[in-house]
Amino acid sequence: MERFFQYFFDGLSVGAIYTLLALGLVVVFRGTGHLNFAQGEMAMFCTFLVWQIQDWGVPLWISVLLGMVLGFLLGAITEVVLIRPIAKRSAGAVFVITIALFLGLNSLASMIWGALPSEAMPNLFPDEPDDFVRIFGAVWRYESIGILVVALVLCGLLFAIFAKTKFGLAMRAVASNSDSARLVGIRTGTVLMASWGIAAAMGALSGSLVAGSNGEVTSNLMFTVFIYASAAATLGGLDSPGGAVIAGLSIGVVENMAAGYFPLWIGQEMKLSVALLTIFVVLLVKPSGLFGSTRIERV
Amino acid sequence: MIKLPENGPAHWALRIGAFVLVLAVVWWIPANTESATVGLMADGFALIIAAMSLNLVLGYAGLVSLGHAAFFGIGGYTTAILVKDHGWSPGWTFYAAAAIAFVIGCIVALPALRLKGVYLALVTLAVAVLFPQLMKWRKLEWLTNGAQGIDSVRYEDVPTWPIIGELRGREGRTEFAYWLAFVVLVIAYLVCRGIVKSRVGRSLVAIRDNETAAAVMGVNLFAMKTLVFGVSAALCATAGSLSTLRTGVITPDDRYVTLLGSIVFLLVMVIGGAGMLWGPIAGGLAYVWLDDVTRDAGAGGDGIIANVIDLFFGWSDQSAATFILAVLLIVVMFVAPYGIVGLLKRLSRKIVVVVPAPVGPASPPRSDPDTQSVSAASTT
Repeated sequence: MERFFQYFFDGLSVGAIYTLLALGLVVVFRGTGHLNFAQGEMAMFCTFLVWQIQDWGVPLWISVLLGMVLGFLLGAITEVVLIRPIAKRSAGAVFVITIALFLGLNSLASMIWGALPSEAMPNLFPDEPDDFVRIFGAVWRYESIGILVVALVLCGLLFAIFAKTKFGLAMRAVASNSDSARLVGIRTGTVLMASWGIAAAMGALSGSLVAGSNGEVTSNLMFTVFIYASAAATLGGLDSPGGAVIAGLSIGVVENMAAGYFPLWIGQEMKLSVALLTIFVVLLVKPSGLFGSTRIERV
Repeated sequence: MIKLPENGPAHWALRIGAFVLVLAVVWWIPANTESATVGLMADGFALIIAAMSLNLVLGYAGLVSLGHAAFFGIGGYTTAILVKDHGWSPGWTFYAAAAIAFVIGCIVALPALRLKGVYLALVTLAVAVLFPQLMKWRKLEWLTNGAQGIDSVRYEDVPTWPIIGELRGREGRTEFAYWLAFVVLVIAYLVCRGIVKSRVGRSLVAIRDNETAAAVMGVNLFAMKTLVFGVSAALCATAGSLSTLRTGVITPDDRYVTLLGSIVFLLVMVIGGAGMLWGPIAGGLAYVWLDDVTRDAGAGGDGIIANVIDLFFGWSDQSAATFILAVLLIVVMFVAPYGIVGLLKRLSRKIVVVVPAPVGPASPPRSDPDTQSVSAASTT
């Protein structure tokens, strides 16, 4: 039972990170119907910015906030300059652009900060060997608790924005029918720009959390996280934020338990395939995911 | 502007001239350049074949695939395992690799029957990431040799071919790889051309443009999608076999076996011109050239382009090749959506226009070439 709680809690904590990135994917997808394949690389790039800022002597948490602001700008500018003009042409063109961004940001980060000789990133939470509490016999590290709390608070904030503010209402309107939203006077362009910005800012936060707990920033920091996040977004339904949270947390838990209970067959090295098989099976059986809405196309 | 009637003597002269020119260049390279360049071109040919296979699926049928690196890897691993563990002659492994990839391609096509766009991209992304993981898996180590991969996969004695003569030693092996890749490239081109210009090809384009309408017109979606995925996977596996045979090594972290490979194939296809037969060829040559030039610039090479690259990216100790390609890809998407070949076609139309022969016995002679060239432009 002790082992169960240990895997469960560790899973929740990594799942929280996937959730942050998956929510970013969902926010963008709801607005435009595009999947941002560069989401992980944008997060990685912003994490390098965070590292750079704190390396200049700014306190860590403030540099994370600054990194999120820069991430917001990066996302918003990307939407306006690269995505919007090309989106008129075809969805395939946007796909190519996000792939180009993926490649470009990855190589740009290697060019600026060097490839694998990575930068040491301080943890955002106390992580001395004795910084933990025991609950049900399992070790619950402050670091993991911190990640979970930060992620859940941010999700709560986002849901409050969705549900309570005028801007959130506009976002929901654009997601449900962009043409009608424009007709009733919503500035759809601003909403889409902000969606991309919010997504990138959440990416910056999740990147900083990952880098903090790994202790380093590298150019392939977010790649596996992106795979997990896209698995979570798919499982939850690409247009459902609530689904992304539930799916993100459960993928974290399932993946950890699979690796923990089947060390010979799955283990650490095959953990990722759990997420990949999730994508495969979900899309084969129920493409709209657990909580997503099915779309009916007219000719 | 010159107008040439289609299939008239002048048009044929143009075709034969282009054919001879290509053949002359292909002949000239191994005879007059260093072994390194020949090897680079052999790799380039394999890359072009892979991009051609992606072009069938994505360019013509409109089915997004990020999974082609896995097919490339399947080809490479099949060749390596058959040659090393079972003592096959390398030539025969091509057929085995293509057959295995065809079957797996058909299986991967199953989700494509229901999914479109981003969903299909996600599934194929999963395939591409899963493949190297599987090859590294402890339980499959007896077959794939784990993360180390399989090495020294090559011909013991390079066969002697009639025209190119006897080849010996290390350089001879490179030159043989070049010719082998060229022959396979020609076959791959003919296969693609055969598919594209046939009823199947028109069905694929119909699926791309409007799937529902295509089904209503009587296109068998199930058969077409499965077939095109299978053929494309088989072609891509052939490229993988070629590449493994040339370098002699395959590991799960090879450039074209990981997801990066799929991205490079996509990039080559889009830069060259998606949905056009010559697109992957132009894109592949551009890629090889650009990769070489940027590496030169990194190594302090000379020449105008190397100097320009050095001026912009000299501050970094890393190669700027990938970044330049990514920027180029974005620029191409904005400026020339039909890639290099589309651009060349548009430019050449200002000089030479091939006027199609009138269709059917009763159709009146066409009098307005301008509208024709416009309609020709919109159908390419």
